[in-house]
Amino acid sequence: MDEAAGSPAVSRRIAPQRASLRPWLLLMPLLVFLAAFFLVPLAQVAMMSVTEPEFGFGHYASIATDGFYLRVLADTFATALLVATCCLVLGFPLAYAMAAASPNMAAAMMIVVTMSFWTSFLVRTYAWMVLLGRSGPIAALLDWIGLPHGELLFTRFSSTIAMTHILLPYMVVSLYAVLRKIEPSLLRSAASLGASPTSVLRHVVLPLAAPGVVNGLTLVFVLCLGFYVTPILLGSPREQMVAGVIGQQIEEFLNFGEASALAVVLLASTLIVLGLYHRRFGLDKLWG
Amino acid sequence: MRGLLLSLGAVVLAFIAAPLLIVVPMSFSSAASLEFPPPGWTTAYYGAFFGDARWTQPTINSILIALAVAVLTMAMVTPATFALVRHRFAGKSAVNLLLMLPLAVPHIVIAIGYYAYLSDLRLLQTFPGVILAHTALSVPMAFLVLSASLKGFDRSLERAAMSLGASPAATFRHVTLPVLWPGFAAAALFAFIQSFDETVVALFVSGRDSMTLPRKMFDSIRTTADPVIAVVSTLLFFTVAALVILPMLWRSFSRSRS
Repeated sequence: MDEAAGSPAVSRRIAPQRASLRPWLLLMPLLVFLAAFFLVPLAQVAMMSVTEPEFGFGHYASIATDGFYLRVLADTFATALLVATCCLVLGFPLAYAMAAASPNMAAAMMIVVTMSFWTSFLVRTYAWMVLLGRSGPIAALLDWIGLPHGELLFTRFSSTIAMTHILLPYMVVSLYAVLRKIEPSLLRSAASLGASPTSVLRHVVLPLAAPGVVNGLTLVFVLCLGFYVTPILLGSPREQMVAGVIGQQIEEFLNFGEASALAVVLLASTLIVLGLYHRRFGLDKLWG
Repeated sequence: MRGLLLSLGAVVLAFIAAPLLIVVPMSFSSAASLEFPPPGWTTAYYGAFFGDARWTQPTINSILIALAVAVLTMAMVTPATFALVRHRFAGKSAVNLLLMLPLAVPHIVIAIGYYAYLSDLRLLQTFPGVILAHTALSVPMAFLVLSASLKGFDRSLERAAMSLGASPAATFRHVTLPVLWPGFAAAALFAFIQSFDETVVALFVSGRDSMTLPRKMFDSIRTTADPVIAVVSTLLFFTVAALVILPMLWRSFSRSRS
């Protein structure tokens, strides 16, 4: 059907053969490139995890038994869960307001979200260093209120709030995509049938928004699992996330085996979450 | 309930915007350390950025690398997207997943892979090494943007051109490309920005001569809280603002004219 040009009789005879070869010819350069410069280096990580410095599964055994690695992995999952929840709690009211606003107002709000999305992680991380610094505005505000506070920067708090801020646009876009499709007449008829605003939200809006909620949570959770830059620059050196420990193994100890094994664990965790999502909903929906 | 949600939404919008805006006054601050509000004002750090090769060279490197990445990505993703959108064949969904894979793999994982692999190929700390790695990472976004635009393309336009005697190449050049160019431009821009912003792989793969701007920024934030960071952040902020707002203005302008 794709090769409709030319006279019907001719194309019908040639089409099946051409149709089976042509897409592969078009795909060839990209597939060869991705094999050589993505799949091979990725496979090399898996290789190094069992061959550096010698063959064996020792690195995996030590990850499974070492208290330090287990704590880092547990911390990473807990942080990703926390950040995903914070993004949902903050993202829902904003996406709801955007869906309720006039088209011009919604577009203006979308500009703010889009700008945050496109602004470099490093710029946003730096901005939080200013905001949470010892002589920054938040410390000044807390002093003024008289709230006692310790160091805000280089704690779990600072890296969590910065990651929430950085990943929030993904959540808002996922939620807005479903919320704006909800017919206002549906809400009106629920209300006219006697539903209170709270029960309209609970029984009409939330069920219809569920796919966006799952989308946003999955995206934020998965992206947060592998976060490297922000926890290193803003987080506590004593409570690292797994990506930071992987980098440290290479930078400080040149321990490729241990780093690769941790990387395989991180990759497997990510792919398991995405795989579950794929089986249930189809991965092509995740990125819109 | 509704009022509460709306006012919460406004607060969250401020939470998103405030950190983006704070870098602008910081870049004019006379303080040598992080201090807000600034104790005094100066433009000296702008001079320090533009006059210092340790900042301008990584900026130029990043632009060159991102340009090469955009060209290389588009050269390979364009035919692949046509194959995937317009043909049905066995193994198509597996190919689809493969093209999306770089988006699913955490950058730190592939970064250590590149570190080992590119040093085997003697490409570590070279421009080609960074370009090849960034190209692989920018494939998924370019593919997503291009396939979305290609799916919306009305193929009867091409059939009309072909039936009037245009060759496939002429049809592509005079019909397909002019209609789809915003999609091509957006996909190339995504590839450019993906490379320009990429930090983790660049930290492991780029070297002294091929140092990218994000790597320089990362090193600078980590070691000294150099005030020049605020200048770079402000420049990046306004570049993004221009990229986001100008196309919107242009669209509403051309809509009001037509």
